[in-house]
Amino acid sequence: MTENASGMWTLTWRRFRRSKLAVIALVYVGFVSILAIAAPMIARSSKSLIPYGPNDVDVAHRLHPPDAQHRFGTDELGRDVLARMIHGARVSLTVGLLATAMSLIVGSFFGAIAGYYGGAADWIVSRLIEIVLCFPLLFMALAIVAFFGPSVWTVMIALGLTTWTNEARFVRGEFLRIREMEFAYAARASGARDSRIIFRHLLPNAFAPVLVSASFGVAYAILTESALSFLGLGVPLPTATWGSILASAKDFIEYAWWLVVFPGVAIFLTVAAFNIIGDRFRDALDPRSD
Amino acid sequence: MLTYVVRRLLYGVLTFFGITIAIFVLVHSVPGDPISFYTGMHGAQSLSQVVLAEIRHEHHLDESLIRQYGWWLRGVMTLDFGHSFIDHRLVTERIAERLPNTLILNVVAFLIAALIGVPLGMWSAARSGQTIERASAVTTFLLYSLPSFWVALLLMELFAVRLNVLPLFGMTSDEYLELNVMMKLADRARHLILPVLTLAYTQLAVFARFSKSAVTEVIRQDYITAARAKGVTSRAALWHHAFRNALIPLITLFGLTLPYLISGSVIVEQIFQWDGVGRLYLEAILTRDYPTVLGLSMATAVATLIASLIADLLYAAADPRIRLEAQ
Repeated sequence: MTENASGMWTLTWRRFRRSKLAVIALVYVGFVSILAIAAPMIARSSKSLIPYGPNDVDVAHRLHPPDAQHRFGTDELGRDVLARMIHGARVSLTVGLLATAMSLIVGSFFGAIAGYYGGAADWIVSRLIEIVLCFPLLFMALAIVAFFGPSVWTVMIALGLTTWTNEARFVRGEFLRIREMEFAYAARASGARDSRIIFRHLLPNAFAPVLVSASFGVAYAILTESALSFLGLGVPLPTATWGSILASAKDFIEYAWWLVVFPGVAIFLTVAAFNIIGDRFRDALDPRSD
Repeated sequence: MLTYVVRRLLYGVLTFFGITIAIFVLVHSVPGDPISFYTGMHGAQSLSQVVLAEIRHEHHLDESLIRQYGWWLRGVMTLDFGHSFIDHRLVTERIAERLPNTLILNVVAFLIAALIGVPLGMWSAARSGQTIERASAVTTFLLYSLPSFWVALLLMELFAVRLNVLPLFGMTSDEYLELNVMMKLADRARHLILPVLTLAYTQLAVFARFSKSAVTEVIRQDYITAARAKGVTSRAALWHHAFRNALIPLITLFGLTLPYLISGSVIVEQIFQWDGVGRLYLEAILTRDYPTVLGLSMATAVATLIASLIADLLYAAADPRIRLEAQ
C-alpha cells in the first residue's frame, strides 16, 4: 500500500511540475507562508528588516505615498502598510487553512457516512446539504460572526460551517465509487469494523481528490475572510488584515491609491495561487493527462 | 414525470421546514439571554424585572422550545417577522421597498454575465487544446480569483476618481429631482454601470467555466462521434448536437446562482451605497436588528429553494433521463 501510494504521489508530482504556472504558484504560496510565519521577526521594531511594527504610528507621515522609508506607504493613522500586510498574511493563511481543515473534517464526516452506508443515511445527509445550500454563504457567515462576536475563531468556524457541503459531496462521490472495489470487499470479508474500513481503507483512497477541493477551499476561505474584514465583521481591529486595509482604503480612495492597490494584489495573488494549484493538481491526478 | 414532480415538491416542503429549524436553532444558540433579541440595542440590563417578564411573555420566551418554534413557524407562514428595532416598521415592508433596487442590479448583471459567459465557454470548448483556449481558461480562472470589493475599488478609482466620467457611488445624482424624464433615466443608467460590472465579472467567469465543461463533456459522448462518423461537419455537430445538449446542465447552474448573487449584492451594494436588500442585511447585522436579519435570511433561503425547485423541474422536463431514473 505505502509503496503503491508513494508511486502515485511521485507520478502526480511529475505531472504537476510540468505546469510552470503551478510551480510558480507553489513557490509563491511558500514565500507568503514564510512571511506569515516570520512576520513578528521581519516587521517588529526599528531594528527589524522592515523597521515598523504593524501598529507603530508615524504621526508625521499619515497617508504618505510609498517612498524609501515606507515602501508601500502609510495609512490614515501613519501605520506602515507593508508591515501591516506582512502581519495580515498571518491572518489570511491561518483562517484559510484552519477553516478549510474544519470544512474538510465536517464534510468528510457527512460525506463518508452518506457514501458508505447509503440508503437512509445518504438521504438525510443529502437533505441537510440541500438546506445549507439554500442560504447565501455570506449571509450565514456574517450572521454567525456578528452574533457570536468577531474573532479569528468565529470567522474560521463560520467559514468551516458554511463550506463543508462541497467536501461532503466530493467524499460521498468517491466513497460510492470505491466502496465497491475489491480492496473494500476484502476488508469487509476479513471482518473489519465499519469505522476501520472507513478510516483505514476508504478515506485514504479518497484523500487525493479531496485535497484538490481543499485547495479551492483555501482560496475561497481567504477571499471570504477578506470580504468579512472589508465589511467590518472579520478579525477585529487593530489586528492587521488585508481586508481591513482595503476597508480604510475605501474612505480615502480619492487620495491614497497605494492603500487600494497593494493589499488587493496580495489577496488576488494568494487566492489565484491556491486556485491554480488546485486546478493543476486535479489535472495531475488524472492518469489520462499523460 | 408526475411521480418526479410530486417527489421533488415533497422534498421542497421538507427543506422548507429544515430552513425554519436551522434559523430557529441559530437564534437560540446565540450566547446570552435570547431576550436581547427582542430588547435590541438597549440591552436587557437597563430594564426592570417586570418589564422583562412582560417582554418575555409577549414574545413567548416563557414557553417551551417546541411551542416557541410553533410561534416562529406561524410567523413565517403568515409572513409576519415583526417590527424592525431601528425604525419600528414592519420587516416585510422594509424588505419590499428595497427589493426593486436589488433586482434591477442583479437582473442586469445576470443577463450580461450569461449572454457573454455562456457563448464564451462554448466557443473555447470548441477550440479545445489551442493556445487561445488555454489563454481564455487562465483568464476566467484569474477573474474568478479577483476579490469583488477590490475590483469595485479599482473601478471607482479609475472611472470616478481619475477619469471622472462615472459617479463614485449612490443610485442617483444630487440634482436628480430637477432632471427631465430622459435625463433621469440616463442618470440612473450611469449609476448602474460600475456596480453591475462588479457583479457581472465573477458570474461571467463561472458561466464560462461551467458551459465550457458542459460542452467538453458532451463532445466526448458517443452520439457526437456517431454524428461525425456519418459525415456531419464538425461545425454542425457542435451546433446541432453538442451545444443544445450542453445547455441542459446550465439550467441547474442558473437555479443555483441566486445565493451567490445575493452574497455578491451585500458587498457591491455596501461599496456603492446602493439601497438594496444586501445593504439592508448588513445594516441589520451591524445594528443587531434581529427581526430584519431573520426575515431577510428566511426570505432569501425560500427564494433560493423555489429557484432550485423550478430549475430541477425544468431540467427533468428537458432531460427525460432524470425523471426516468427517479422512478
